[in-house]
Amino acid sequence: MAAVDLSTLPQQLVTGLLIGAIYALVALGYTMVYGVLKLINFAHGEVFMLGAYVTLFISWSLGYTPGNVLAGGSWGALALMFVGSMVACGLIGALIERLAYRPMRSQPRISSLITAIGVSLLLQYGGQIFLLDGRPQNVDPKVSPAQGNFSIPLKPANSQLLAAAKALEANMAATKDAYEKAAEGKDKFNLPDDVKKLRSTSQDAERSYNDAVGKAENSSVSIILPKGQVIMLGTTLLLMAGLTYLVLYTKRGRAMRAVSQDFDAASLMGISVNSIVTFTFILGSSLAGAGAMMAATFQSGTKIDTFFGVLPGLKAFVAAVFGGIGNIPGAVLGGLLMGISENLVVWAGYPGYKDAIAFVILIAVLMFRPGGLLGSNKVEKV
Amino acid sequence: MKFWGVRIASILVAILLSFGLEKLGRGTDSFTQQLIVFAGLYVTLAVSLNLINGITGQFSIGHAAFYQVGAYSSAYLGIKFYPQFHGNLFVWLTLMALVGAAMAAVAGLIVGLPSLRLKGDYLAIVTLGFGEIVRIVIQNQKALGESGGLNVAPHTTEQPIMFVALLAVLCIAVCRNLLKTAHGLPFLAVREDEVASSAMGVNVTATKVIAFALGSAFAGAAGAIYANSLGFINPDLFNSTLSISVLSMVVLGGTGSITGSALAAMILFYIPEKMRDLKDVRLALIIGGLLAVGLAVSAIRYVIFNVHKSAAIRAAMHVGIIIGSVVIAEIVAFALGKIPALAGTVEGAKLRLVVSAVVLIVLMLVRPQGVFAHHEFSWSWVQKLMGKKAPSTEVAA
Repeated sequence: MAAVDLSTLPQQLVTGLLIGAIYALVALGYTMVYGVLKLINFAHGEVFMLGAYVTLFISWSLGYTPGNVLAGGSWGALALMFVGSMVACGLIGALIERLAYRPMRSQPRISSLITAIGVSLLLQYGGQIFLLDGRPQNVDPKVSPAQGNFSIPLKPANSQLLAAAKALEANMAATKDAYEKAAEGKDKFNLPDDVKKLRSTSQDAERSYNDAVGKAENSSVSIILPKGQVIMLGTTLLLMAGLTYLVLYTKRGRAMRAVSQDFDAASLMGISVNSIVTFTFILGSSLAGAGAMMAATFQSGTKIDTFFGVLPGLKAFVAAVFGGIGNIPGAVLGGLLMGISENLVVWAGYPGYKDAIAFVILIAVLMFRPGGLLGSNKVEKV
Repeated sequence: MKFWGVRIASILVAILLSFGLEKLGRGTDSFTQQLIVFAGLYVTLAVSLNLINGITGQFSIGHAAFYQVGAYSSAYLGIKFYPQFHGNLFVWLTLMALVGAAMAAVAGLIVGLPSLRLKGDYLAIVTLGFGEIVRIVIQNQKALGESGGLNVAPHTTEQPIMFVALLAVLCIAVCRNLLKTAHGLPFLAVREDEVASSAMGVNVTATKVIAFALGSAFAGAAGAIYANSLGFINPDLFNSTLSISVLSMVVLGGTGSITGSALAAMILFYIPEKMRDLKDVRLALIIGGLLAVGLAVSAIRYVIFNVHKSAAIRAAMHVGIIIGSVVIAEIVAFALGKIPALAGTVEGAKLRLVVSAVVLIVLMLVRPQGVFAHHEFSWSWVQKLMGKKAPSTEVAA
C-alpha cells in the first residue's frame, strides 16, 4: 500500500510542473489546430517524435555520437538543435496539412479523423524503416552546458534534533577516547574483556550519533531543480507569451481568430484561409518541435523510438481539452496540471497508473465540464 | 411458414459450412489452423465494431478493450475452474464465450454512457482512452499476471475452428437481421441525425447504449476464444494498434456494410500475415511504391472530380491509372536501386502496419465511404448482375 510522505510533496509538485512544460508545448499545437480546423490532429504526437529525431541527428552530426566523449556542452549546439527541430517540424506539419488534411476538408469530420489516424500510423511504422539504425537512440545529455541542479532550501533542519546530535557528539568522542587509550599497544584481535566492553560502548555511541545526524538532516526539506528542466519551463513560458502576442496583437493572429470563428465569413473578408491554416500548422508543429528538442535533451536518459510521441501526444491532447480546447493559456495550464497530476499519482504510490490518469482526467472533464477549465462552457452540438 | 423454412435452412447451411471449414482446416498444419481461427475472430471484431461505428455512427477506436475484457475473464476463470470442470471442451468454450460477452457488454455499457454526451472526435478519443485505462488497470492486477500475462488453462491443442466460424456467422446474422427488421431502423436513424430521430420517437440514449453493449459483447466472446486458442495472453496484445487495425478493416469495407467489414477483415488480416514471410523488401521499392501510390491517388481524385464521362470510361481510366502506377513504381524502384544509399532491404514484417496506414489514408482520399459503402451482398444483387431485374428488399441504405 502506498506510503505517502508529505515532506516530499513540494518536490513532486515542482518536478511535475517542469515535466508539464513539455505537455504544455505540445498541447498548444493541438489547441491551435483544433481551434482553426476543428480537427484532432492525431499526427501531432508523431511530429513531436520526428522533432526528437531531428534533434538527435543534429546532435550526432555535431559529434555527440554514442561512445564519442566530448569535453562539454555548448550553447551553440543547443541553439542549433532547437532551431533545427522547430524548422523541420514546422515543414513536416505544413506538409501533412497540405497532403493529407486539405483534400479532406469538404468531407465529414470523421473522414479527416481517420486520415489523421492513418498519417500517425504511417509515421510510426514508416519511421521504423527509415529512422532506426541500430545505434542507441538517445541524445547525449552532455550537449547541454547547464548541468547540475538548483537547490532551494525550504525548511532548515529541526533545531532540537540538531542539538540532540551535538550532545551525542561529545559522548561519542569521550567513549572513543577512552577505548583508544585502553587499547593502546595491545593486540587488536585479542583484547581483554574490559577493553572489548569499552570498544562496544564507543561503537554504540557512534551509531546513535550517526542516527541523530541523519534524522536532523532528513528534517530539512529542499527542492531540487535540474537546471535543464528550469530552462525548459522558462522557454515554454516565453514561447507561450510570444504566441499569445502573435494571436492577440498581430494582423495574422487576428486572421487566425477570424478563421477559427467562421471559415466562410473569414474568406469573404479577404483572408486567405488556406495560408492561415498552413500558418497555424507550421506554428503548432514548430512548438511541438521545440518541446521535442527539450524533452530529448534535458531529460537525461530519454530513449527515442518511433513511438516516442504517442503517449506525450495523447496526454497533451488531454491537457488541451483540460485547459479548454482552442484556448492558449488554457493549453499551458492544462499541460502543467497534467504533469503535476501525473507526478502526484506516482508520489501516492501507484506508479503503474501513471499513464492512466490522463484518460481519467479526460473522461472526467468531458463529463462534467466539457468546455475545459478556461474554455467557454458551451456543450457542443453535433 | 416460408419465413421459418428459410431461416432454419440458413441456420443448417451455416452449421454445415462451419463443419466443412473445420474438416478442411483439420487437414492443415497447426499454424494454418490458428490463422483460420484468428481470421474468424477478426471478422467477428470488425463486424461488431461496424455495428457501433458504421451502423450507429458512434465513432469508437477502443474495440481492443472489449476484446481484452473477454480474453481476461475467460483466462481467469479457466485457470480457476477448468481443472474441476469435467465436460466437453465445446461446452466450456461456449460458457467462456458467454461470460466474456457478458463482461464485455458491461464494459460496453460503461463506455456507452459517456458517449451519450459526446460526439465525433471527442467520443473517439474517450474510447481510445478507455481502452488504455482497461489495459493499464489489468496490467497492474496481481491476480491477472500484471504485464507478464497469463497462461490460459484449457489451451486448446485442437483449434476451435468450427466454434469461431459459428461465432462469426452468429455475429453477422445478428447484425444483418437487425438491419433487415424494424429493430435496426433506430440505429440507422441515430447515425443519420440524432435530433431528427429523437423527434420521431427514437430513444437515442437506449439505441446508442444497446449498440455499444451488443458490439462489445461480440468482441468479448471473440476475446474469450482468442485466449483459449492462443494459450497465453498479456496486456500488450491488446494495445491501441489492434483497435486501429480493426478500425481500418471497418473503414476499408465500408462503414455500415457488414459484407464489406467481413471481407475487409479477412483481406487485411491475410495480407500482413503473408508479409511476415517476405524476408527482404528492397528499400527502393518501398519508396517507389509510396511515390506511385501518391501519384495514383492524385490522378484518381482528378478523374473522380473532373471527368464526367460514362461509368465504363471512368472505370477504364481507373484501371489504367492503377496499371500505370504499378509500372511507375517498378521504374522508380529500378532507378533508385542504383543509388547505393538505397540499396538496403527491409524485413517484410516491419511493413505490415504501414500497409494499414496507407490503406486508411488512400481510402479516405479516394473513396471515404469504403469499398462497399453501405451496400450488402444479396441474392437480388447477384440476380441483377446476371441480368435479371429483381425487386430490392433492402430496408434502408
